[in-house]
Amino acid sequence: MILMAIVNLKEKVIQIKIVYYGPGRSGKTTNLEYIFNRLQSQKEQNTSKLVSIDTKGDRTLFFDFFPVNLGKINGFDLKLQLYTTPGQVKYESTRRLVLKGVDGIVFVADSLSSRQDANIDSFENLKNNLSYHNISLSDVKMIFQWNKRDLQEQNIPLTDIEQMETSLNSELQTQSFPASAVSGTNVFKTVNYIAKQTVEKVIDMSVVNQKQRPN
Amino acid sequence: MTSIIDEEYAERIEEVLREFLAESGATYVLLTDMGGNLLFKMGEENFDSDTLAVLSAANYAATNEIANLINEDAFSLLFHRGNNENIHFAKLTSDILMIVLFKPYLSLGLLRLKIENVQNEITSLIRE
Repeated sequence: MILMAIVNLKEKVIQIKIVYYGPGRSGKTTNLEYIFNRLQSQKEQNTSKLVSIDTKGDRTLFFDFFPVNLGKINGFDLKLQLYTTPGQVKYESTRRLVLKGVDGIVFVADSLSSRQDANIDSFENLKNNLSYHNISLSDVKMIFQWNKRDLQEQNIPLTDIEQMETSLNSELQTQSFPASAVSGTNVFKTVNYIAKQTVEKVIDMSVVNQKQRPN
Repeated sequence: MTSIIDEEYAERIEEVLREFLAESGATYVLLTDMGGNLLFKMGEENFDSDTLAVLSAANYAATNEIANLINEDAFSLLFHRGNNENIHFAKLTSDILMIVLFKPYLSLGLLRLKIENVQNEITSLIRE
């Protein structure tokens, strides 16, 4: 049995795990840092600290993590657990561990023309690692983020969004957002969208689960 | 594939954990799934339990991978000794990890016996 989202009927809490996946240096940690800093600056949002298990430089070694309270839905407290995976190829074993029990995935793709092969490799790697946990892409909610679009202004060669859609999203045809994690463009749009999609799925499934239970 | 913890079940598990704390003298106990989702917590101290659950599950999983690499099934003891607080990790079922914080003056052997009792009780609760 794979434990996915947790619904605690006594404490009235729903916990959901969202993982940011993608090749090295595509901006997964930057996404999380942006969300974290923005939430920290809003006093009413009481967040735990952002945990980063990284190398002494700035490369993620294991994961970054922080929990977000999203408020109430149908009387339940909604808790979102945000994770990133290490992007570098050599951290295969830890990347696989982070995917355990995932409910929703944001695939952060690098828009730099030179990184298109890395995007495709990482996407294939994601499928393999999900199948390691006996899940397929259709079991989880997934969206794409085309990151680093802001570099266009600096005349750095980027791949067209249409082309990225074709190479990565033609099979799934799921939602995608052009974004800039550094400046924050569409960072919240991405997380809001995946949270909403995942929560809806979890609520649907828990209703179904309850109906299926004996007595 | 969502896991639902209903009220009656939650109360029974909490009762087991409450008893465990009282009998063992441990400071704090939490149960998490292997994906790092906090399931239950109990104890007087005010730790960041969400993060504790996540890091413990990650620590446990990483240690298991190390075991596989050196052709071990699993390490039977996973435990860190601190100056003020010790921490012990135990796998209760294939999906559930139990994390216990306890003071260094408590006996590790005795604590492990108590943890084994909890494991039996919780396994039979889950079977029900």
